[in-house]
Amino acid sequence: MKAETGYESTLDTGTFVSRLKPQGVTLFATGLSGFLLLLIGLPVAMVVLMSFRTGFPGENVPFTLQNFATVYLTQRTYEVLLNTVIFTVSSVAVTLVIAVPLVWILMRTDVPLKKTIYVLLTVGILIPVFLRTIAWILLLSPRIGLVNKWLQQWLDLAGPPLNLYSLPGMAFVQGVSFVPGAFFMLAAAYRSMDPSLEEAAYTAGVGKLRTFLKINIPITLPAIAAVMVYLLMTGIAVFEVPAIIGLPARILVLSSLIYTSTTPSTGLPDYGVAGAYGAVMLALGLVLAFLYVRIVKQGKKYTVITGRGYRPREIALGRWKWAALAFVFFYLSIEVFIPFVVLLWASLLPYLQLPSAEALSSLTLKHYIDIPSHVGVRPFINTLILMFTVPTLTMVVSVLVSWIVIRSQVSFRGFLDTLAFIPHAVPGILMAVGLAYLGLAYRDYFPLYGTIFIIVIAHTINWIAYGTRTTNSVMIQVHRELEEAGRVSGASAPRVLGKIVLPLIAAGVLNSWIWIGMLSYREVTMSLTLLTRGNVVVSTVVWQFWGSGWVPQVSALGVILILFAVVVVGTLRFAFAKLGEVGGTS
Amino acid sequence: MIRVTSLRKTFVGLHGTVRALQGIDLDVREGEFCVLLGASGCGKTTTLRCVAGLERPEEGEIEIGGTLVSSPAKRIFVPTEKRDISMVFQSYAIWPHMDVFHNVAFPLTQGYRRVARNQVAEKVRQALRLVRLDGLEDRPATDLSGGQQQRVAMARAMVTEPKILLMDEPLSNLDARLREQMRVELKKITKAIGVTTLYVTHDQAEALSLGDKVCVMDGGEILQVAPPNEVYARPASLFVAQFVGEMNFVKGKVAGPAQVECALGTLAIPVPAGLSAASPVTLAIRPEHVKLDSADRSPVSLTGSITTKNYLGDTALLEVEVNGVSLLVKLPGDAEFSVGQKTAVTLPLDRWRVFPG
Repeated sequence: MKAETGYESTLDTGTFVSRLKPQGVTLFATGLSGFLLLLIGLPVAMVVLMSFRTGFPGENVPFTLQNFATVYLTQRTYEVLLNTVIFTVSSVAVTLVIAVPLVWILMRTDVPLKKTIYVLLTVGILIPVFLRTIAWILLLSPRIGLVNKWLQQWLDLAGPPLNLYSLPGMAFVQGVSFVPGAFFMLAAAYRSMDPSLEEAAYTAGVGKLRTFLKINIPITLPAIAAVMVYLLMTGIAVFEVPAIIGLPARILVLSSLIYTSTTPSTGLPDYGVAGAYGAVMLALGLVLAFLYVRIVKQGKKYTVITGRGYRPREIALGRWKWAALAFVFFYLSIEVFIPFVVLLWASLLPYLQLPSAEALSSLTLKHYIDIPSHVGVRPFINTLILMFTVPTLTMVVSVLVSWIVIRSQVSFRGFLDTLAFIPHAVPGILMAVGLAYLGLAYRDYFPLYGTIFIIVIAHTINWIAYGTRTTNSVMIQVHRELEEAGRVSGASAPRVLGKIVLPLIAAGVLNSWIWIGMLSYREVTMSLTLLTRGNVVVSTVVWQFWGSGWVPQVSALGVILILFAVVVVGTLRFAFAKLGEVGGTS
Repeated sequence: MIRVTSLRKTFVGLHGTVRALQGIDLDVREGEFCVLLGASGCGKTTTLRCVAGLERPEEGEIEIGGTLVSSPAKRIFVPTEKRDISMVFQSYAIWPHMDVFHNVAFPLTQGYRRVARNQVAEKVRQALRLVRLDGLEDRPATDLSGGQQQRVAMARAMVTEPKILLMDEPLSNLDARLREQMRVELKKITKAIGVTTLYVTHDQAEALSLGDKVCVMDGGEILQVAPPNEVYARPASLFVAQFVGEMNFVKGKVAGPAQVECALGTLAIPVPAGLSAASPVTLAIRPEHVKLDSADRSPVSLTGSITTKNYLGDTALLEVEVNGVSLLVKLPGDAEFSVGQKTAVTLPLDRWRVFPG
């Protein structure tokens, strides 16, 4: 009953009281917009530029439409487009089929072990997608897959019954990998739903299942639609599954096609063609981003009606508890347990084989001991550089952008907000290709090609959208009057930012700092696109090992990558427990 | 219609357990409008939610219309949707994905108390007419004002012609003027259809004007159950006196069987039973019962001086200091008194209430 006498929460950012010295802030906001425009706009401009040029980056050639002709007059391009659509849509379907019931079970029912399930979902995010993909290959590849071998032995089959090297196989692995992200996005929507909307249905004499179907699902439909569009946007951009499963099977999608154009196994890289493919990818991304923003805005209409006197109530599942728990653990095993166990098993054996007495007797830690001599120190140092510089740069930019967007009255704050959201729409692989082109063609002005810092820049651009979304939401939660009180006390704008705003948003900022650090740590697509001898990171090492077919070494390194991530996040979560939900996804 | 006996409920929260209900007994007769009145956290909403079946009590029984719907001892718990009730929520809980018609029709088409399809439209129209929203059937729920949402919520609760209506602070989200208007209308509607109502509020004016019966609650217990005029005129305890309406309190002690000694002198007032001589008491009198007369020079009345004056249009609130005691006085209209003026103060003995402590 604590919210009964609550005040009307005034979160609208529409009315602004003059509180900052206008010229100073406007000047600062202009500088920041200019900087972001350059940072985000240049790589995108490079993609457009290269699509109109042939030859090697930096070669002085006239503009031409030849690339577009090469790309859009061949039938193969349309096959690839169709593959992309099928892959993306079916991945998202797999995700939603798992994620929607999962959210309902965890947010609305009294299913046991909730805390454990949350932790395991977080671990699910921390397992790099390429490692999960590799693990599933080790299980379901027709040639070496353990499940296939076992089924063949057991059922006495002539050929392997399952084949991961197919569009359904790709969609399965990708769809499963999307689930934790979709879960946390949907969970936020569920959390903000007024439980009395459900209770009103019960008091109207409507049962639980019917209420779920007629009230919960329709009300969360805008949220589900938003998540769906967001996933479609991401699905077009993903590269790891299409590369690891798709490339050997010759099932190409846009992202893997762009990658093979710029990094062919034989011949010269063709940035022009990559740019022409990129144009359609860019268009798709922007359209979906536009759609996403619209749906989110529409959805806001639904959340206008929110309740006070808030008390979430859990539905007693009774006998169904075990069915729900079984569903959750089935999902967690394909997301977390099975991939990890497979990698662990493969890392301890000289070669991949089914469990047997012979296999058990040949278990060895050799591949772990050999890691330093195989990998060297450089990739670890580079990865550490990424883990510290990327989140720091991203959060500094995000806090400044959000402060302007949420708190100032600068006329173009909406533009700044949109600008910061654009990296969401531009696939990472395109950003990376654009940056590579920039580094190659304009090496005199931008001498970073081949260094770790070009990857730092790529990652920072990529996560500015995520960073600003989280800083926007934490900044909105800090009541404006807290800041105004500081101004009234005579503190300058920067001082209010440093002494009042920052301490209040510290927990939220630290939380996304950690997440961006971990995302940077597991990222492989951009690192790979920008890879040269000098800027190898751990994730690209694993990729190269896999390319060379070193299954046990890949597995050993993968196990270490996963364990390290879990230990880091676990420790930070424990250490900063007082600061709020650090390490939890926001 | 509603009978609640020794209801107990405990919440286990992050900061330990909260005993929300500590043995609630309540009896609401057919057609009665019963108000649960209390401050935040007194257990009034929890009581209502237990009756609705939205909370599960640990102990005690709830009977609705003669049927036992909740009894942990007998392992009976009828789920909300199968109880013969309707409810209006504080947030209105209007489903944003439906228009007005479908919100109101929902209990008739989807609920336990479903009716034949061809009756739905007529019943919905009747319910909307009852709350004076006819003609807005096709309006999306999100396009309604707060007051209109409130009416839709009422219509939705009435459409099944329920025996029992539960309301959880239904007017608290409206602005002051609209709230008073709706209060009058609400009373009319509930009386017109004769529904038994259990109503939760923290607003004492609302409780006094709406209720046939008011239950004042605090700390998970009911302190007094009585008609509104009795709660106001004869509060059962010091807490009720403090909570319902304004009152002047004066500390004193018992001087004899019908004598109380305080700063205002020794007053001949009956003392509650069980209080011995010299035990401390608190005297209370309503501001509207204190009389001022600047012309009075009789020796029996006390003399005071006006310290503040607060003119409110229809009434004036004055503070008078008498023997070092500051008394609040409420006078109708524009009183002719001004600050600093000396005046005779009369405190009618039959208006005093005496509480132990």
